[in-house]
Amino acid sequence: MADERLPDELRELGRRLRVPDVDGGSMAERVLAQLLAEHVPTPVPELPGPGPWRRRWGRVRAWLREKRRVLVAGLTGVLIVLVLTPPVRAAVADWFGFGGVAVRYDPEGRTAPPGGAVPGCPDPVPLAEAGRRAGFEPAIPGVLGPPDAVAVTGSAERGRAVISLCWRAGERTVRLDEFPARLDIGFAKEVRTQPEWVDLPDGAQGYWFAAPHLLTVPMTDGTGGIWTHEVRTAGPTLLWTRGGGALTFRLEGIPDREEARRTAESAG
Amino acid sequence: MRTREGTREGGLVVDEAVVIARVRAGEPEAYAELVRAHTAVALRAAVACGAGPEAEDVVQQAFFKAYRSLGRFKDGAAFRPWLLRIVVNETRNTVRSAGRRRAVADREADLLGGEPRIPESADPAVAAEERERSRRLLDALDGLSEDHRQVVIHRYLLELDEAETAAALGWPRGTVKSRLSRALKKLGLVLEGGEERG
Repeated sequence: MADERLPDELRELGRRLRVPDVDGGSMAERVLAQLLAEHVPTPVPELPGPGPWRRRWGRVRAWLREKRRVLVAGLTGVLIVLVLTPPVRAAVADWFGFGGVAVRYDPEGRTAPPGGAVPGCPDPVPLAEAGRRAGFEPAIPGVLGPPDAVAVTGSAERGRAVISLCWRAGERTVRLDEFPARLDIGFAKEVRTQPEWVDLPDGAQGYWFAAPHLLTVPMTDGTGGIWTHEVRTAGPTLLWTRGGGALTFRLEGIPDREEARRTAESAG
Repeated sequence: MRTREGTREGGLVVDEAVVIARVRAGEPEAYAELVRAHTAVALRAAVACGAGPEAEDVVQQAFFKAYRSLGRFKDGAAFRPWLLRIVVNETRNTVRSAGRRRAVADREADLLGGEPRIPESADPAVAAEERERSRRLLDALDGLSEDHRQVVIHRYLLELDEAETAAALGWPRGTVKSRLSRALKKLGLVLEGGEERG
């Protein structure tokens, strides 16, 4: 066998490698999300052989970096929106569909205990009163019937009111939060298990988070201001939007995906 | 392909020096351009080195580590060989830490699973011969020493030029040249021997 053929055959072998079906765009999105989630500092060029002056300057820079890191950590919810470049953001929106929700899994489970209790509805108000206070009428899932308790949090004046509906069944609480806002562009996530799409009527889609996670919901209010509703533990959760994203729903406390989907469907 | 302007892959032209400067100036999103330009070759490198189903995670981790080490990246150097060095190391660590050697059959599936050179419509006997030849080439490649296998993977399977291969492996160009020639000779001998036996 002539050796001259070998290089070409080897190149051909290389082109035929079966590689995973991941394009550069989604890889970029994953890498950026990981960089953001782990608050990786800006890589600063390292100069060889630092003298005493440079070492001192290095310490000053490290201090500034640390300050920045702390600031960034505090702003994560907002920062996620700002740092994704348009193509990456487009890939994210395309992949996620909601245009943006920040979902963080805590790998050590320190702040997201599996199976944590679903919080009930504090300071309940009558159902009719809730709509008046929040400035919008809540949608009630037919399969659950009238809620046992209804609560309104946040300010209606700025379009940031949230209606929470709670149902109690023995030890179990089912809670549905309704936000009169669209979800904001941009999200970051550290996934251990991939969330799944759930098909809803009228071509709408929901997102099913089976594993306990910390959920951040960044949104845009009526004045274009960015606000983040909450960051807290959530068990299996279904998230979906309606009316072109004008209303966002988050259903918690139903561990079965199909049951959660049917519940969402019955909210109209 | 390296050009004067930078790297061109998948229709993207990236001026690496500018992108790296932007990242170092505190614009992490600029890094996405490098990731997009080099994802394909990084995946190929991971698979060629035996990452199997782990290839996706290996590549993500390699890009993540490359970002963190970007402060040590030498100005004016090419990004691709530098990245591939990280990919190869990461593959080695992952395969080793997973504590499992992938079955030969699985590796063959990864390496030979793509589109065959001979189309379906061609003579099935020729196609079968082609597959058999690829399989034996792969076996021969597996039988090489680590250095020889790496130089063949980089130079031919990943299609790097000699300078990029030298940069990726951290060897002088003369070493790349001599090891490559010895590796090809060995591959040729093994294949020839196989044919005599067959």
